[in-house]
Amino acid sequence: MSRFAAARTGAAVLLAASATLIAGGFASLAPGQAVASSHREAPLISGQPQYDNTDVYAFVSPDKPDTTTLVANWLPFEDPAGGPNFYKFATDARYDINIDNDGDSQIDLTYRWTFKDHYKSKNTFLYNTGAVRSLDDANLNFSQTYDLTLIRRVHGTAVSAQRLASNVPVAPSNVGKASMPDYATLRAQAVRPLASGGHVFAGQADDSFFLDLRVFDLLYGGNLSEVGHDTLHGYNVQTVALQVPSKQLAPHQPIIGVFSATQRQNAAGGFTQVSRLGMPLVNEVVIPVKDKDKFNASIPWHDAQFGQYVTNPELPKLIQGVYKIPAPATPRKDLVQVFLTGVPGLNQPPNVRPAEMIRLNTSIPPSKAPNRLGVLAGDKAGYPNGRRLTDDVIDISLQVVEGKLLGAKIPALGDAVNANDKAFGGAFPYVALPWSGSDVRASGSGITPAAASMARDSQATPLTGGAAAAPRAMQPKPAPASPVLPMAAIGVGALLLGGSGGLWLMRRRHPSA
Amino acid sequence: MPTPTTTAAPVTRPARSMAGRLARVLLGAGLVAALAGGLTFGAAVLNGPSGPPPASDAVPAAAFEQLSSASLAAGIGQLQQHLRAQPRDATGWATLGLSYVEQARLTADPAYYPKAAAALAEALRVRPADNDSAHAGLAALAAARHDFGTALREADRALAINPFGARALAVRIDALVELGRYPAATAAAGHADGIAPGIPVFTRLAYVNELHGRTAEARRVLDLALGSADDPGDLAYVHAQLGELAWSQGQVRRAGGEFAAALRADPGYLAAVEGRARVRAASGDAAGALRDLQTVVTRLPLPGYLTEYGELLTSAGRPAEAARQYAVARVWVKLAKASGVATDLETALFAADHGDKAEALRAARAEWARRHSVHVEDALAWALHVNGGDAEALHYARLANGLGYRNAMFRYHQGMIEKALGRTADARRDLTAALRLNPDFSVLHAPLARAALTSLGGAP
Repeated sequence: MSRFAAARTGAAVLLAASATLIAGGFASLAPGQAVASSHREAPLISGQPQYDNTDVYAFVSPDKPDTTTLVANWLPFEDPAGGPNFYKFATDARYDINIDNDGDSQIDLTYRWTFKDHYKSKNTFLYNTGAVRSLDDANLNFSQTYDLTLIRRVHGTAVSAQRLASNVPVAPSNVGKASMPDYATLRAQAVRPLASGGHVFAGQADDSFFLDLRVFDLLYGGNLSEVGHDTLHGYNVQTVALQVPSKQLAPHQPIIGVFSATQRQNAAGGFTQVSRLGMPLVNEVVIPVKDKDKFNASIPWHDAQFGQYVTNPELPKLIQGVYKIPAPATPRKDLVQVFLTGVPGLNQPPNVRPAEMIRLNTSIPPSKAPNRLGVLAGDKAGYPNGRRLTDDVIDISLQVVEGKLLGAKIPALGDAVNANDKAFGGAFPYVALPWSGSDVRASGSGITPAAASMARDSQATPLTGGAAAAPRAMQPKPAPASPVLPMAAIGVGALLLGGSGGLWLMRRRHPSA
Repeated sequence: MPTPTTTAAPVTRPARSMAGRLARVLLGAGLVAALAGGLTFGAAVLNGPSGPPPASDAVPAAAFEQLSSASLAAGIGQLQQHLRAQPRDATGWATLGLSYVEQARLTADPAYYPKAAAALAEALRVRPADNDSAHAGLAALAAARHDFGTALREADRALAINPFGARALAVRIDALVELGRYPAATAAAGHADGIAPGIPVFTRLAYVNELHGRTAEARRVLDLALGSADDPGDLAYVHAQLGELAWSQGQVRRAGGEFAAALRADPGYLAAVEGRARVRAASGDAAGALRDLQTVVTRLPLPGYLTEYGELLTSAGRPAEAARQYAVARVWVKLAKASGVATDLETALFAADHGDKAEALRAARAEWARRHSVHVEDALAWALHVNGGDAEALHYARLANGLGYRNAMFRYHQGMIEKALGRTADARRDLTAALRLNPDFSVLHAPLARAALTSLGGAP
């Protein structure tokens, strides 16, 4: 399940951003001995976030437009300062990025990462025994490697498996400056070329997602009195990333469907899909709590079973209850296009079978000035056409759910967190370097002064108008002013939008948005 | 899933619980005052100051799944704060309820159970339909209170809403095991493994295998759990279970290694301290064993631990101190009953050897009326034996050993019953089997088993 699914399950236990958070690790509740010695009480709650998909990104590589970059993250809330900790991929799991390249909702290509542990010495619990200056440094006592396999499928069934890379080193956890004085070098060494074309990476990275998790208070009728704090500030994730020529992904037509899944080995020796993630927020906002586990176990072919949650969504009703913004009429064909089929003329493949995936038109060139609001702001190289690291999917989704594509005149809904806490890279794998244990520890609370000031500046931004009030300092690449664009400019025809016709575009009070 | 690196991980010790304080008070002073103090503990569900949520409510919705035992108390506090601000969060109420159940387990303080019940009731009030997490919480609460019939029903209600819910799947296995419905438990564990593999299911699957005598398979599945465990709580639990498995086979050194590994992962993990105590006693370190058990009962004054401590004290020539442990055990049973915990099995096991024998039999029969697990069969057999009902006892002892569970105490009980019935050959066979399984299975009973076997002419 995704981090937010977990958060919902967990009822948004709002743990302190300070180091007290998860100080003991992502531990299960250690079971005490049974209240009765004869009644063995095993753990009911087990901390196993290494199997949890958190986010998937798919975009045409900005610096290599003939290639496509796929990024998937696992293991949310890695706290670099949460004690002397390191994080790893599970060795009994398959970490998959799946591609449907003909729109039939069946997987055609699976890129699979599988990991192995390595210890230089089993006689020590130390992660490193001195400063680590390269990935093969003898001081790096524990390390992981992975194999990358490409599985080709016909009608969903595997017909071939090709090893694209073997025993590739994983970028380690950034445990601190003393241990890893030049982490950027370690990251660079973990980016490897593929003989088949392109590059691959796996390792720790800053969590690319940015949002204020309090937006999920909406789900139980809460009022967004305080947003604007990037609750993922200072946290790392485990990232896998792949950059391949777009032609390899989409040999016949340019639009691909992308989702990630985790399979875990069970005691019977088989593999069970335990997590699935494509479009952001579907798992947490669209799918009701009771069906989240089912969704995580399901495959896109069967997504019609969840269709009602897209055509008749709960969130707009909840928002209407709190903010009196009228919920758009149902059934919501606009949301079907955004979440299930892609938008005609933009990212809908021919003969599409509705299924929940990120749909990316690899033939749309990357934007020179990406707008965080993507297609809503006329930047059709962004979400929901694929998903770039900088796309503000919370704000976009809120506005789309409230009927933006139907022409509804709604406030500039948002969570007032408009950009990531760390700048992204200009080249593969693009994700920001992971937070270092010593960096964050130095700030004492897990929050850097800049972020604290950001949070403060944003405190006054409620749900409505959040984007406008977001501090300018957090806009890494101010986009040019985005006036109301004609629909044609973004290649989205009125036909596809239905309803009152026409894409009602953002009017921004501040050009920086 | 952090793993310790350059320095030792922070030591996580369960907070000194009310029950722990209770134990210390009892050990020193009068029982009555302490009893009253314990019973007043289950106060408001949302304790602490009221008022607007503090700034800390603004921070990440880290999943409850990610709470550690160390952070459980803090997590509960933050959940309470969160629910003051967002009282319509039904899942939050369910999570709070489950947190209280876990807290009761960690602290041995049954006063958390009424609070859990109140939070879960609120969850269902806020969201009466489709609330699988509330039903899973009710299932966990019922299991903790040893009401396994209700646990099974609530787990099934949760699974009717969400067939993939890992907690409900896990509690369902527990309930079937404790109700003695072993074929159904085996099927439920296999099903859960297929759709929700993970440490909660692996540990239960291992136990089901162990109960059927499939020790090697139990170890394999626990090793699997170990391979995917990274957090200290999981590591400690799985190592301790591997230790118990080794111990039950009389592999003292191997057990000692596993308990030590559990304590490296979590130095405050009392189940492993208790295991280490048995290993120390079996290795001739009685003083170390006594130290360990004193630590355990001070923090977790559970009847089983208190009995074990008392028996070790007796064997060390300190009967007066042993009697005090048994007194605490009796009070704990009263407290647990007052918090809605069914304690007949514990009463039967404890009273048969250290209390009122008639009471032991009454309790065992009462438990047998509710469920037919091998543990209940064994307890009933032994309670019948100490009351002179050996003919009937033999029937239940055979049932208890009939599943295949390789339990030295069960086998010893059967041997002693057979001896009382004059079934010498059977008695020699079963007493020998008990001592072969684990020559140190009990400080009190292993020597009695050896003496009985000698009096019958030794091993066959």
